[in-house]
Amino acid sequence: MSIYILCLILFSVGLYCVLRKRNLIKIIIGIGIMEYAANLFFILIGYRQEGRAPIYAHDQVINNMVDPLPQAVVLTSIVLGLALMLLLVAISIRIYEKYRTFDITKINRLKG
Amino acid sequence: MSPNLMIPYLVIVPLAAAFLIIIFGKMTRPAGAIIASIASALSFTVSLMLSFSIVKYGVLIYKVGGWMPPAGIPMIVDSYSALILLIANFIAALVTLYSVNYVKIYTDTWKYFSLLMLMMAGVNGVAVSGDIFNMFVYLEIASLATYALVAFGNEAEALEASFKYAVMSSVASTFMLIGIAFLYNYTSTLNMAYIGKFIEGNRTAKIMSFVSVLFLAGFGLKAALAPFHAWLPDAYTKSPAPIPAISSGVLIKVLGVYALTRLFFNVFGMTKPVSYILIFFAVVSMLGGGILAFGQSNIRRLLGYSSVSQIGYIILGFAIGTPLAVMGSLFHIFNHSVAKSLLFMGAGSIEKTMRTQDIKKISGVISKMPVTGYTSLIGALSICGIPPFGGFWSKLIIIFACIQAGYFGLAFIAAFVSILTLAYYFKAYAPMLFGAKESLSGALKNNRRQFLTDMPMIILAVVSAGSMLFLAPGIMNILMRLATVVIVNGTAYVSVILGSLK
Amino acid sequence: MLEIHLILLFMIAAAIIAVEVRDMLSSVVAVGAVGIGLSLAFLVLKAPDLAIMQLVVEILSLIILVRATSHRDLPFSASGRWVFNTVSTISFILIFLVCAYISLLNLPVFGEPQLRELSKFYIDEARTLTGAENIVESIALRFRAYDSLGEATAIVVATIGVLAIARRVSIKGKADDER
Repeated sequence: MSIYILCLILFSVGLYCVLRKRNLIKIIIGIGIMEYAANLFFILIGYRQEGRAPIYAHDQVINNMVDPLPQAVVLTSIVLGLALMLLLVAISIRIYEKYRTFDITKINRLKG
Repeated sequence: MSPNLMIPYLVIVPLAAAFLIIIFGKMTRPAGAIIASIASALSFTVSLMLSFSIVKYGVLIYKVGGWMPPAGIPMIVDSYSALILLIANFIAALVTLYSVNYVKIYTDTWKYFSLLMLMMAGVNGVAVSGDIFNMFVYLEIASLATYALVAFGNEAEALEASFKYAVMSSVASTFMLIGIAFLYNYTSTLNMAYIGKFIEGNRTAKIMSFVSVLFLAGFGLKAALAPFHAWLPDAYTKSPAPIPAISSGVLIKVLGVYALTRLFFNVFGMTKPVSYILIFFAVVSMLGGGILAFGQSNIRRLLGYSSVSQIGYIILGFAIGTPLAVMGSLFHIFNHSVAKSLLFMGAGSIEKTMRTQDIKKISGVISKMPVTGYTSLIGALSICGIPPFGGFWSKLIIIFACIQAGYFGLAFIAAFVSILTLAYYFKAYAPMLFGAKESLSGALKNNRRQFLTDMPMIILAVVSAGSMLFLAPGIMNILMRLATVVIVNGTAYVSVILGSLK
Repeated sequence: MLEIHLILLFMIAAAIIAVEVRDMLSSVVAVGAVGIGLSLAFLVLKAPDLAIMQLVVEILSLIILVRATSHRDLPFSASGRWVFNTVSTISFILIFLVCAYISLLNLPVFGEPQLRELSKFYIDEARTLTGAENIVESIALRFRAYDSLGEATAIVVATIGVLAIARRVSIKGKADDER
């Protein structure tokens, strides 16, 4: 239980960073931290006490493996997070070239 | 060929087209446009054929890779999916045709067309998905493509809008991922039908409320439901004109409304608290969108806030939940997609010719650009709800449904917002469309008639004007009735799917 | 069990440093520390494929982020209605955590997953059905290959998107200087 709460606290640190910070790169870092926390949460769910990795080996029994499905899911999710990060950083580099600042309160030409 | 083998082509065709465009687009200039147009027409044909098959068979399931769910991932098409796919692919095909001429001002247009095809692959993937994580993956694909497309012109405001949209949207996606994690922990499966089966007994557990809130926030943002609508007006202002057309007509409907209602009606089961929350958000959207649209002088922002308002209508119908209300919402999805895409395309043409987005500076559109002018007029009349154009009938059905369900206050609000909509459209479009013949004199250089730009607008205008015919017996009527049944029957979806999977 | 707690506490500390420190390069390095901590956590939680994947992706992300911070710009501190904003953000986060805690009480305790028939099916049948020794790979590449297709497509989307954003001349005839 406390593990889950710690993981969600990590998520909250990321969320706080996205909501309150002004530097574009800090916001991207916040999104990255949120993604890490979400992936970790998935794997925590699948853990079995005294479990072992879900790989067949000749000499070991198979009835105490950890849950393999969340691992496959997180495999995909890590890559989706990378794709998002690529796009966000590319956009923010171009924004810096246009606006000459990384401060999101100054990047405010669209109004209404 | 058995009909369920058609289903994967909805994802295969756009994906293959995207990769072909990447290969051939650099070699020959028109390759991107040609491949994209053919592919979007093909996927529209497939969705049309699927609709006919659904009317005959009810539910079609394709197990990807041959693995039996829940171990494998099924692609499930029932009447609700078929209806949404039909609308989405129709709009996408027309927007692609319109884009062919519009993007000539940009360099490297093959990137645009491949991103557009990837976006459609994602949208189709969401609509046919029977597995909740698969839906999330394709939702992310469509969203990533949209972030890049909004920023395609590389203007400063477009990049700013794209960044803000990307940040908000990825926060929503991460919330959804946490929701999927909680759901997996609770039900130990990712297949939507099996999740529904597991939840059957325990619908009011606290975890279900928490997960519902997470998904409401996540999909609410994709659907541009207030208070999660903030990204929409900015993202529509400086992006290439086909992008708001396809976003407002397809993306917010499929990624937002369809996914939300699919989860909440068929998998989780609609409970009273959730429907009250949805009603609240819907009312805020309708009123907020309408009031904020009033003061806009930028035509795209006005249309954007109008989209927020109309999404409020759609969610209101779904939230009320009676068969009549759901039918009204489905019909309004159709009407709004057609009319709003038409209006955005018209706005794009107006912008190109008049070189401004400011309403106050544009006038005499009908006299200078007759096709654009008349079709935009039809689109505006449809959204305002003027009979006999389509929007009137769907709004009428929704208002009747409110009265029939006893929500007289909601019916009054819906009618009031309809009048408000008429007011701001009249205030914006009347001076633009009619009005003096002399203004911005040098702006007529680009006024050559272009077939590929005009034809989609004409088709949409005809469909919008004649859409009440879709209420008469015919293919759309049957499909809408079947889709209504699917939604209203709620969790009967679970037993239908599990029965078909044997 | 204890290792997981320690790794998580390390990650939270590194995350707080990443969020609060003023120098952008230090912030990126701290995020790198969070990522490596995550990789270690995956290793301790018996997910070796993920540990490798996370390490690789982490290194790529770090390279990209460092590229972005090479335009050095000091972050500004809060101004304006920052008290109200900070308080409302923190209260929203606290409400979120409390609700998550309440709903976590319904769920199986950490380390003892229940009712995982689907996973049991994968563990029992994966070798006979697919001939793979590594169950995670058999799930990701055989049973749920459609998701892996989606993941590869997402990278393609990101690549084309970055190419589109990195164009030097976006609108014909106008160079992209100050617009």
